Amino acid sequence: MGEGFAPCLRLVNATAVPMRRQLLPFAFLAPALLIEAAIIVYPVLKTVWMSLHDFVLFRPANAPFIGLGNFTRAFTDPVFWTSAWHSVIWIGFVVGFQFLLGLGTALLLNQSFWWRSAARALVVIPWALPSVITALMWSWMYDYDLGLINDVLLRLHLIDAPIAWLARADTTLGAVIVALVWQGFPFFAVMILAGLQTVPHELLEAAEIDGANAFQRLTKVILPSIAEVIATALLLRTIWVANSLDIILVMTGGGPGFTTYTLPLYAFLKAYTSMEIGYAAALSLIVTALLLLVIYAYVRRAAREL
Amino acid sequence: MERRTFLKLTGATALSSALARPAIAAPVELRWWYHFDNPQNTPAELVAKFEAANPDIKIKAESIPWGGGNDYYTRLFAALVAGNAPDCAQVKLSNQARLLEMQALEPLDSLITKWDARSDISDKIWSINKASDGHQYYLPLHYVVLYLYYRGDLFEAAGLKAPTTFDEFQQAAKVLTKDGVSGFGMRGGAGGYDNWGPFVLGGGANFSKGGMISDAALKANRWYVGLATEQKVVPPSAPTDGFKQIVTNFKAGRSAMFIHHVGSSNDLVTALGDKVQAAPVPHGADGKGWTLYGDESNAVFAASQNKEAAFRWISFLSAAENNVALTKLSGQLPVTTSGAAQDTSHQARFVKASTDSLPVAGVLPDSPKTADFVGTVWPTNMQQALLGQISPDDMMQAIEKHFNG
Repeated sequence: MGEGFAPCLRLVNATAVPMRRQLLPFAFLAPALLIEAAIIVYPVLKTVWMSLHDFVLFRPANAPFIGLGNFTRAFTDPVFWTSAWHSVIWIGFVVGFQFLLGLGTALLLNQSFWWRSAARALVVIPWALPSVITALMWSWMYDYDLGLINDVLLRLHLIDAPIAWLARADTTLGAVIVALVWQGFPFFAVMILAGLQTVPHELLEAAEIDGANAFQRLTKVILPSIAEVIATALLLRTIWVANSLDIILVMTGGGPGFTTYTLPLYAFLKAYTSMEIGYAAALSLIVTALLLLVIYAYVRRAAREL
Repeated sequence: MERRTFLKLTGATALSSALARPAIAAPVELRWWYHFDNPQNTPAELVAKFEAANPDIKIKAESIPWGGGNDYYTRLFAALVAGNAPDCAQVKLSNQARLLEMQALEPLDSLITKWDARSDISDKIWSINKASDGHQYYLPLHYVVLYLYYRGDLFEAAGLKAPTTFDEFQQAAKVLTKDGVSGFGMRGGAGGYDNWGPFVLGGGANFSKGGMISDAALKANRWYVGLATEQKVVPPSAPTDGFKQIVTNFKAGRSAMFIHHVGSSNDLVTALGDKVQAAPVPHGADGKGWTLYGDESNAVFAASQNKEAAFRWISFLSAAENNVALTKLSGQLPVTTSGAAQDTSHQARFVKASTDSLPVAGVLPDSPKTADFVGTVWPTNMQQALLGQISPDDMMQAIEKHFNG
């Protein structure tokens, strides 16, 4: 090999090595990306495909392309709008009350008392219970004849006759909301309690010395200090509650009538009772699109914390 | 020896040894899906008996959760679409049209014609199970007919007899509604169409075009909804009461009548003894009536690779003594005439109420829309009517629209 070729070889090696280095991270990422493509990207694309077709489970060979037909059908479907309105009520009340109850619990658990450790463990129980157990337990408590709630209210003379909590238009949605509030408030309690541990004592002492009362210390010192934690918890819980249907499904199945229909439940029933998979896919994508706003806010917040 | 030569020799030896081995045919494995009201019950003894008589077939019996029908059929349809369906399965007429639309069912006409126990099943049952295209895809397995359960002790104390007409039924319900007792344990929740049918379909409604909005149909539905909204002879929880609630209320003495089939009779006798009595569902003033024929059959799927073996298994289950053994597990009635004579698993008065109801027993339409009617259209509209959110006439309009556009 003559000397004249040496610079060329050095040049080839110099470009080849960096190229391998550039590709190496992708090779490391490939398994994760492939798994993600298989379990997330493919199902999402399949859902989009189904939403554009009149796909009915018992007519798999006859699923014509109908473009946005399923989406326009949704917007003219009165049950869709009923479900959407119930979803707004559902998310607003469940997340709101879970937050308030969680905040109160966290503030209590942040105090010093001799059984605090036990209390902190006990408060997680509702969160740890499977949703079906929670739903059945509350169904029995609401039972018209044998339920604990009617029994207590009758004994206290707060009502004259038992109430069919899960069979009335004016009580059912509220009754189911109470059950989910009970199940989910420990999430807020634990998150906020963790946040409270990070509030410097000096700050609270300084506020106290400055004459701030307990409420002022809460609103002017504590809450601003844990605002990041609260915002993250609210965003996460909003996404979960918006998607949740297990408690409603077990307690009422959406009834009576459409009283407890929410959008995810409507999509579920369309898929698994009516077997209208195409329409259910469109409903699911509409829910996803609405949730993207919340997810966008959450991702931005998460990215900021990186 | 060269490597290529070595590989050739090895391959040839392996092939010749496999071919030289005596042929031992592995038994055919059949997958059969079933569901019993009591999931603890297992058909293991029947499987063992069949396998002993048919050593070339192994049965893999898979208990599938019923879940009011939705769970079972969603799994079945999903399995069919995915190409992973069982060879044969328990099926109901309400889904026959959907399964036919999928071309999932194997016609059994020729196999049934050759089946020597065919005549042990009555012509009425064969005709009920025939598909709209005239073929026989279902092999009847067991059945129930819905009738009226009533508390004999409460009726006796009130000086009442079992109601035979709608008017007598309403009158009895009114008399018995007092002191925390509701005259009628109405089922407004899942599955309640079989309580509604005797009064509304029996009162003149039908599923043909215009059949839900005729004067007679609207009047009958107003009367039935009125039992809750005007007469107040049903429990306040009726809009969402399902099977569990209506049975619990009846056993606890909180309702005096409810409608169900023979499947719950043993449990009721255990709780109430002779206080529980049975009678056919009431009929209208014109003497016409309707009650649900609760069918259960087996079908062989078109995609099965072992259709003949599958038919051997399902016909085994529908043959006299096996059929009786199976109905002990399902709590229902044998489809065979000889089996019905041998059946001792239910008390006579409940079997009599079932057979007395057979002349007016019918099924829901053989339509792909029937399953959705049962699962969502009927309960959502009935519940709204019971809550006063829509009128009884609106409910009938919705059902008419569902079936006939």
